[in-house]
Amino acid sequence: MDDEPRLINSAKSGDKIAFGKLIRKYEKTVYNFAFKICRDKEKAEEAMQETFINAYRGLKSFSGNSKFSTWLYRIITNNCLMMHRKRSHEPVVSLEDADLFRETGELQVPHWGETPHDAVLNKELKEILNKAIQKLPLEYRIVFVMRDVEGLSTEEVRKSLKLSVPAIKSRLHRARRFLRNELNPYFTK
Amino acid sequence: MKLTDHKKYLLEMCEKVDRDLTSPTCRKLREHLAKCPDCAAYYDSLKKTIVLYRNYDVEYKGSCCKEVLARLDVEQPIQIGIPKRHRPKNPRRSTKHSSH
Repeated sequence: MDDEPRLINSAKSGDKIAFGKLIRKYEKTVYNFAFKICRDKEKAEEAMQETFINAYRGLKSFSGNSKFSTWLYRIITNNCLMMHRKRSHEPVVSLEDADLFRETGELQVPHWGETPHDAVLNKELKEILNKAIQKLPLEYRIVFVMRDVEGLSTEEVRKSLKLSVPAIKSRLHRARRFLRNELNPYFTK
Repeated sequence: MKLTDHKKYLLEMCEKVDRDLTSPTCRKLREHLAKCPDCAAYYDSLKKTIVLYRNYDVEYKGSCCKEVLARLDVEQPIQIGIPKRHRPKNPRRSTKHSSH
């Protein structure tokens, strides 16, 4: 039986045991998402703790109109964005596809070889995946991770990020193209 | 085929890469991919990119519950407004007092 609504109501009235149960239920989800955005274990842990602290403080504002997880995603995203803005000066990167076209105006797409099918990726490839996604501006990275990695629907992303559907789609498509282009040299060498 | 047509399909691929291409709305794209090896290669690489990031798993083995609850326990309630001892004296009141 799903006792989440009861736990949320108890936590709203200040029951910390109920809130502890909610933390245990969501800590993996929150940590994994924060890690996929920050790409750093310490930052992900910090973002996770801040997320739960903020969630407890703001619990009364949770109306229940969206899923609790969607509401948490919004808080994690805000924390990751704030941490990122405080600590780094993001370089400007181009999200264009110019390399796909030869000077002659023809399309040039090299074929990728086999990619690993299982979750066990080698160290070199992990580093390449990390580097590529770290180059992607955070606003694009967040949408890509939510939609393509975590598997959230466009509607859930819209509610979490308070973005319009066209804005989500545009960021997602550009992120997909950018990451594909970044990985391209590795799979075509 | 013109380059602009390929570009159009590339954009469509980015939009539909997570969908089932057998649906009627994807018919044109499906037909194009069947006859254009470059676009098919691009579509394949786009799909593989998503799968790679989805397969990149992170494992959280700890628990932050104790730390978070401990932080909430030591937290002081937020004071709204100016604490009493810092409030400036009401000048009118002090005048009244002085007149007595």
